[in-house]
Amino acid sequence: MGKNIQPYSVLVVDDNRVNLKLIEKSLSKEGYQIHTADTGPDARASALENRPDLILLDIEMPGESGFEVIKKLKDNAATNAIPVIFLTGVSDVDAKLKGFDLGAVDYITKPFHPQEVLARVRIHLKLSIATNSLIQSQAGKLRQVTEAQAAMLPQPDEFPGARFGVYYKALEAAGGDFYDILNISENITGYFVADSSGHDIETSYMTASVKALLAQNCTPVYSPLESMKMINDVLVEILPPGKYLTACYMHINRSTMQATIIQAGHPPVVCLPVKGEPYLVLTEGDILGMFPDAGFGKVSVNISRGDRFFIYSDGLVESADNKVTWTSGADSLLPVYNSLRQVPFKDVPEAMISQLFGNGCHPEDDVVLLCVEV
Amino acid sequence: MDFDDLASRLEMDREDFLELAGLFVTTTQGDMDKIRQAMSGLNPADAASAAHSIKGAAGNLGFEKMADLAQTMEFQGKDGNLDGFDAHMEDMEKMLQGLQVLL
Repeated sequence: MGKNIQPYSVLVVDDNRVNLKLIEKSLSKEGYQIHTADTGPDARASALENRPDLILLDIEMPGESGFEVIKKLKDNAATNAIPVIFLTGVSDVDAKLKGFDLGAVDYITKPFHPQEVLARVRIHLKLSIATNSLIQSQAGKLRQVTEAQAAMLPQPDEFPGARFGVYYKALEAAGGDFYDILNISENITGYFVADSSGHDIETSYMTASVKALLAQNCTPVYSPLESMKMINDVLVEILPPGKYLTACYMHINRSTMQATIIQAGHPPVVCLPVKGEPYLVLTEGDILGMFPDAGFGKVSVNISRGDRFFIYSDGLVESADNKVTWTSGADSLLPVYNSLRQVPFKDVPEAMISQLFGNGCHPEDDVVLLCVEV
Repeated sequence: MDFDDLASRLEMDREDFLELAGLFVTTTQGDMDKIRQAMSGLNPADAASAAHSIKGAAGNLGFEKMADLAQTMEFQGKDGNLDGFDAHMEDMEKMLQGLQVLL
């Protein structure tokens, strides 16, 4: 065996030393590293210290029984993934059922043959290896999705003329929230925030599609409303049944000093005028990607240098736990925007999240918060 | 008692089997002490537990008569019945001594 090869390890637990030795001899000959314990507490201590790949556990032991040992192993995050095979009497059906109920993967009846023990150890190690491999593979794919999604989200330093700050947090690897910044011309910038139904892998592909559609359709040729309608028409065709987005598209023209906001079932934009109190820019519109003849809300606002706009997803203002929807939640946050007036626009999203969720509370959903300064 | 046959049933060599058989004698003597204590303390549950230990080890090594006797004692103990345990222990002692002589 090479120096770097770690043998698979098995913890054998039995109060009878003959049984321990018999299994130890049989398995060690086949290359397994064996740890032994003859009481329940020793077994648990060994499991924690040695992290064996598998545990063979006698049920009927004086003091702490095998059942209690399994239960405690399964209750401990450090040991609950270790497969346990229990050793029990041939006729003891109740014990077998109870062992499975507590989380054991198999049983071996006593008296046992060492070759049967070996065969069961092998098969359960193979299953464990396959399961771990599957978990690693899935985790790796989700990491790739997370990285790909992160790469699709523009950072403020990449778009200095857009003058925005952002906070983005996905609760799961494949986040449902999404934003994009579009340099439409030298003085026209598009800001897009969307929240898609679902948080699965399919959602991340939807994100990529929407980003491509934005790049194709948010151009000086089309008005903001036309851009959203064209994107909607394509999404209606390509999205799977039941999938849709709520979205907000804000188009700021720094030459004409006008902002146009298109709403597609999304929480209202907040405007914080440089001189004046913050207010919700209210308008209604259908969701994106569901209806071929969708109608979107449109509001145009005359803007001044230093005005700020906040576009966000419902995770900022909603709380299922506290039964708060964005229709009531959005309004209640207006004083918070006002209180951060002196904070540089790039830092406002982080500051606002700290203020809202900093004291031990956490968002219950994905959150994206964009602060745009004219 | 054919140790070569018992060893081959377990797919072990004779030397390993004899080591296990020696360990069996030691552990079984300990279990029998526990049974004696349980008998004098009129504690059939403890007697059953020690008999269960003997049964498992004897069965695994192929000492079937000892395993059968230990099972009888275990079941009786679980039923709260220590009747005939003196005779059972005498038989067990004889079988264990017989094994010890052969080792």
